[in-house]
Amino acid sequence: MYEILEKREIAANNVLYKIHAPHIARKVQPGQFVVVRAFENGERIPLTPVMWDAEEGWITLVTFIRGRTTLRMNMELQEGDKILNIAGPLGNPAPMKKFGKILAIGMITGIVEVYPIAKAWQEIGNEVITLHIVPEPMIILKEDLEKAVSKHIVESFPLKEGMGMPEIFKELVTRGQAKVRELIEKEKPDLVFMVGPARGQKAIFDVVKEYGIPMEVDLHPIMVDGTGMCGACRVTVGGEVKFACVDGPSFNAYEVNWEELIARSEFYADLEKKALEDYLTKLQQGGAQ
Amino acid sequence: MARSKLIKERVPTPEVPVEERVKSFVEVNLGYDFASAVKEAERCIQCPPEYAPCIKGCPVHINIPGFIKALRENSENPDEAVKNALRVIWNDNTLPAVTGRVCPQEEQCEAPCVMGKVGDPINIGKLERFVADYARKHGIDEELLKEFISEENGIKGKVAVVGSGPAGLTCAGELAKMGYKVTIFEALHKPGGVLIYGIPEFRLPKEILDKEIAKLHELGVEIKLDHIVGKTVTLEELLEEYDAVFIGTGAGTPKLLNIPGILLDRIYTANEFLTRINLMKAYKFPEYDEPISIGKKTIVIGAGNTAMDAARSALRMGSEVTIAYRRGREDMTARIEEIKHAEEEGVKFEFFLNPVEFIGDENGKVKAVKFEKMRPLEERDAKGKRKIVGTGEYITLEADTVIIAIGLEPNKIISEEATGLKTNPDGTLVVDENLMTSIPGVFAGGDAIRGEATVILAMGDGKKAAKAIDEYIQKKRLPA
Ligand SMILES: Cc1cc2nc3c(=O)[nH]c(=O)nc-3n(C[C@H](O)[C@H](O)[C@H](O)COP(=O)(O)OP(=O)(O)OC[C@H]3O[C@@H](n4cnc5c(N)ncnc54)[C@H](O)[C@@H]3O)c2cc1C
Ligand SMILES: Cc1cc2nc3c(=O)[nH]c(=O)nc-3n(C[C@H](O)[C@H](O)[C@H](O)COP(=O)(O)OP(=O)(O)OC[C@H]3O[C@@H](n4cnc5c(N)ncnc54)[C@H](O)[C@@H]3O)c2cc1C
Ligand code: SF4
Ligand code: FES
Repeated sequence: MYEILEKREIAANNVLYKIHAPHIARKVQPGQFVVVRAFENGERIPLTPVMWDAEEGWITLVTFIRGRTTLRMNMELQEGDKILNIAGPLGNPAPMKKFGKILAIGMITGIVEVYPIAKAWQEIGNEVITLHIVPEPMIILKEDLEKAVSKHIVESFPLKEGMGMPEIFKELVTRGQAKVRELIEKEKPDLVFMVGPARGQKAIFDVVKEYGIPMEVDLHPIMVDGTGMCGACRVTVGGEVKFACVDGPSFNAYEVNWEELIARSEFYADLEKKALEDYLTKLQQGGAQ
Repeated sequence: MARSKLIKERVPTPEVPVEERVKSFVEVNLGYDFASAVKEAERCIQCPPEYAPCIKGCPVHINIPGFIKALRENSENPDEAVKNALRVIWNDNTLPAVTGRVCPQEEQCEAPCVMGKVGDPINIGKLERFVADYARKHGIDEELLKEFISEENGIKGKVAVVGSGPAGLTCAGELAKMGYKVTIFEALHKPGGVLIYGIPEFRLPKEILDKEIAKLHELGVEIKLDHIVGKTVTLEELLEEYDAVFIGTGAGTPKLLNIPGILLDRIYTANEFLTRINLMKAYKFPEYDEPISIGKKTIVIGAGNTAMDAARSALRMGSEVTIAYRRGREDMTARIEEIKHAEEEGVKFEFFLNPVEFIGDENGKVKAVKFEKMRPLEERDAKGKRKIVGTGEYITLEADTVIIAIGLEPNKIISEEATGLKTNPDGTLVVDENLMTSIPGVFAGGDAIRGEATVILAMGDGKKAAKAIDEYIQKKRLPA
């Protein structure tokens, strides 16, 4: 069991947990993730260590409150509480090479996964430009990124009354695409890297593709074990079936079968909604703290 | 002792009626009580241990007539009878509540039983299970455990065991009994391997498994969960800290069919399906958070234990289920008892069908499977199974859920990281006759070296490796 040393809402719907997990802190490298199970009757969800200290034995995770588990974590876990299981580090580390100029993009909470990779790339001598595409109330890690890389750009917009998920998403995509086009023209990056929802990644890839610039993406298929034993996370890359948890999570955007990935990431939409509603009802009835 | 007349028929074990059990995950077979167990035990003609064919048929050579004798010798005192019987079993097998339930006895101990020549073979598996269950319920195993706890725990050396399936659990238990300090490293959040995530509650209640594993704690074994060897800690690091390492990582990576439509929605591997149900208890959703989505018509592809477990689980989730197998009825590899249970519960079987395509609807959900009809040949393959050929004729069956259970291969996380570890082309680890791998001091057993096999073979390997590890460490200690 792993103690929560600190918990903070760092922006709307974005919660940071600093957790004592020496077995992860000792080993994790940028690009890797962990699988967390917070409750006895809970599920296993993949999350990414954003910062860590091997000597002090802690890691930080940032969750975007998206459904039942991330909401439950926020409602039921406080500083001093313990998380049942954290397994990892999992997946392959990002390649630590000199690519030259890199444009690293994070959409919404995707930026938390960009942070450790971008920082490490900068440290080994790349020129890294990070771009955060996000609604204004959800801006995070701004000062940290400004310190870590050559240039950090935030492309944001205010949330207006009555804006639903579809409208927000449309705004993210239109603004994101325009900004990326502008940056590619101006900065001429050697590599583009992106983390975000599959639909968002596909939209940005459509722009990058026009310029023929190499692009890497961290994929987020549904995961169960995260160790290669179930195949839930399978994706088609270069015509071959790969398991994102062991062969990824990073893949060449030009080789990804995007239609399939998008369809598969929406498998559980109905049940996720049911789980969330069920939990919200319980909250209203005072069934959960 | 006067020879009594041979009783040809088995004393039956009660089962939960079909109508009731298909609605839940309760255990199907209820097992013997003491009186009926003694009655069944009395059918055994007590072949001398040196000749008893049942002992030879058991992969870990349990003294079967010995434990059966212990049961009937004390028919007036059940506690004493069970204690003596359990002592005999534990000498060779530390997980009898598990093996009594999941071993294919009809191919092992019960196959050569001499009583089988004149009637039914002795119901060895159910007797073994009775002994273990009775002992657990009456606290007898705890008493007995004290006899096995080593005084010298931790003195003889330190051993790391990777994986907590039957191979790892057995190896750890044996080493602890010998006086080693053992630490198990397990990737998942619960120990047990296939026993916890693969085999469903209706065959192996998890409460029983937890108790079997708890015995290890009393023997002084430590289990570190959430530790993926190769990622959280490397093999090299383990070798620095421990005198020897045992790898029992199993064969947990599912094989996928390389045919069109494999990424459609509601096509699961049996491992994902069973893990969600068993380990994550998705059948209790939304009381448990893990979701699972099953339609009204499920096709399971394959006919091993995994396929039966997946089919019977899907049935319990309210789906109509058909098992589609590319060979014939007599070629099925699942245990006979489980095939029988599946049929009773209403699982349908289609033979000589080989899938060639998954067909999806406009939303990307599977709606049908296209099969080629197959035909058997006289010729047999290396495993002794009839070969099959396609007929060029096709058939399409409707399905809104598909579960693929065509086999598993070893997980590559360790072998990819520890490059000195030699593997065969199928991913299994190369070992010598002492189960030592290509790295000195690193041993391996179970599905990790055999590919998909059985619980008892994994346990046999764990035990053999424990002996070899003991010899290896003792030898290393001797001054050259
Ligand atoms: C390698 C990797 C790293 C990730 N890192 C982070 C991170 O650092 N911070 C963060 O906020 N999110 C991260 N995610 C996404 C995160 O796992 C999901 O947001 C989370 O599972 C949602 O759980 P929920 O119950 O709150 O939401 P729900 O939408 O109700 O999810 C329910 C189920 O769907 C699965 N699921 C749904 N969406 C996803 C998804 N996008 N990816 C994987 N599984 C999903 C969950 O595992 C769960 O089984 C990461 C995903 C992956 C694959
Ligand atoms: C659904 C199903 C039903 C079955 N039914 C039967 C049956 O009725 N009878 C029978 O005899 N056999 C049955 N089998 C086969 C039997 O379960 C296996 O042969 C047996 O479990 C193998 O034992 P093992 O210890 O070698 O490996 P496993 O049981 O596979 O255990 C391996 C363990 O190692 C862990 N692990 C893997 N990699 C790492 C790593 N890098 N670091 C740390 N831990 C790791 C895994 O998480 C797992 O817990 C069945 C198999 C399945 C899948
Ligand atoms: S072979 Fe059958 S009859 Fe003979 S000892 Fe074994 S169980 Fe008894
Ligand atoms: S999450 Fe199970 S194989 Fe990747």
